[in-house]
Amino acid sequence: MSGLREVTGMTGDEAVAYAAKLVNPDVVAAYPITPQTIIVERYSDFVNNGEVDTSFIPVESEHSAMSACVGASLTGARVFTATASAGLALMYEILYVASGMRCPIVLAVANRAFSAPINIHGECTDQMVCRDASWVSLFGESAQEAYDETIMSFKIAEHPDVMLPTMFGIEGFIVTHALERVETLSKKQVEDFLPEVRSTKYRFNPDEIATFGSLVLQDYYMEIKRQQEVAMQNAYKVAKDVMAEFTEMSGRTMELVEEYKLEDAEYAFVSYGATAGNAKAVVDRLRNKGEKAGALKIRLHRPFPTLEIHEALSGIKAVSILDRSATFGSPGTILQTDLASSLYGKEDVPTLHGYINGLGGRVLTLPEIEEIYEKTKDYHDVGMTSTTDWVGYRSD
Amino acid sequence: MMTKEAPDEFERWVKEKWGASKLPEGGVVPYHSAYGYKTGDWSAFKASIDKEKCISCMNCFYYCPDAAIIMDENMKAECDTTFCKGCGICSKNCPADAIEMRRVTR
Repeated sequence: MSGLREVTGMTGDEAVAYAAKLVNPDVVAAYPITPQTIIVERYSDFVNNGEVDTSFIPVESEHSAMSACVGASLTGARVFTATASAGLALMYEILYVASGMRCPIVLAVANRAFSAPINIHGECTDQMVCRDASWVSLFGESAQEAYDETIMSFKIAEHPDVMLPTMFGIEGFIVTHALERVETLSKKQVEDFLPEVRSTKYRFNPDEIATFGSLVLQDYYMEIKRQQEVAMQNAYKVAKDVMAEFTEMSGRTMELVEEYKLEDAEYAFVSYGATAGNAKAVVDRLRNKGEKAGALKIRLHRPFPTLEIHEALSGIKAVSILDRSATFGSPGTILQTDLASSLYGKEDVPTLHGYINGLGGRVLTLPEIEEIYEKTKDYHDVGMTSTTDWVGYRSD
Repeated sequence: MMTKEAPDEFERWVKEKWGASKLPEGGVVPYHSAYGYKTGDWSAFKASIDKEKCISCMNCFYYCPDAAIIMDENMKAECDTTFCKGCGICSKNCPADAIEMRRVTR
């Protein structure tokens, strides 16, 4: 890669749209929903201006959007769509069809809180509840990561050993609408990175007759589902390779998990998405005070990078899990239960302290994160191995 | 009968009860029509047609949900047992009372 980098100011949504423009997918079927709207608006501009070769399908709902994507993907097309919150919930049925029929669709999610009460702001619950839909799932911290993950997602999804749809999330408004510095790639770089035509094993084709979406009952269903689990396991390795390749191509480090000052840390934050940026800022503050703090950002949420996480967290005393997603009556926050399953029974594992925060766009300030840090230390000191709290709300 | 054969691969997959590593991905079936699926072996009854009584009205032909009624060269109804699931709709709709549903013993 040359020493010269092109830099532009873009919001998270624009970054996704411009990255998708470089990919130039064959079909985009999308329905606008705040805070994803700008992705669809910008992309329809590109289509209108003839800057891309995409067939743009303006559908009447997200259920139709994902259905159109599945149909298009089965013809062997490269397909992209975007949604948020209620839109993702409406797609939910077809998410399983897309993964079950092995359609490597790429979906950008502008993470937003669920109704009711109706709210348009950032929260990752929408994407988190799709964790069992057999979709590869990534989170991005910034507009830059939104840009990069858009391009990487196609390569992960379309790998012949994976062939699973891939979604990546950026938090509503916090990332989607914030203007940031984005290092862009050239058309040539993306063309060299992504194969021109995506691979297909089976597709609608007049010359190769096949039945798609057939009824599969007790005698074969489990075998077909097991194939998806194998593909998910492959996706773990493929994602790792794709990120390594992307790092080399772009000069920006991309890993399944990002470690920040963890080498000698005693206490750490674990987070994903935009919260990870705040966690890192707090780590710097705490380090200045002489605390041995560190942070771990989880980029790949499905398949869950258990090995990397265990490696990164072994030897740490206690972790504070900053989870910007809601779950009720659960034994821990969504990320905490995943971490607990990953680490249970292993050597040198930290105690886990989950904090549900930032729901509906509520700001989690840096001093609040410092308080969380102190709280975790206290919990650890009195011997509590796993706790779950809600933080940043008024109780009276 | 005009039954077309399914490709070897499909026959083997059914016979050998293939598992996750061998089956095509995503439940795709590399075959295009019901010809390959011998649904007739599901049935508990079979339509037995008395060609003497048949008046060639073709009611059974149109009512059959599985297209398992075939008209022979004399325009008399005939049951394609490879696909007849034994529902009995043809029998109910026969104005000449020419179709009897007989229990299949296996």
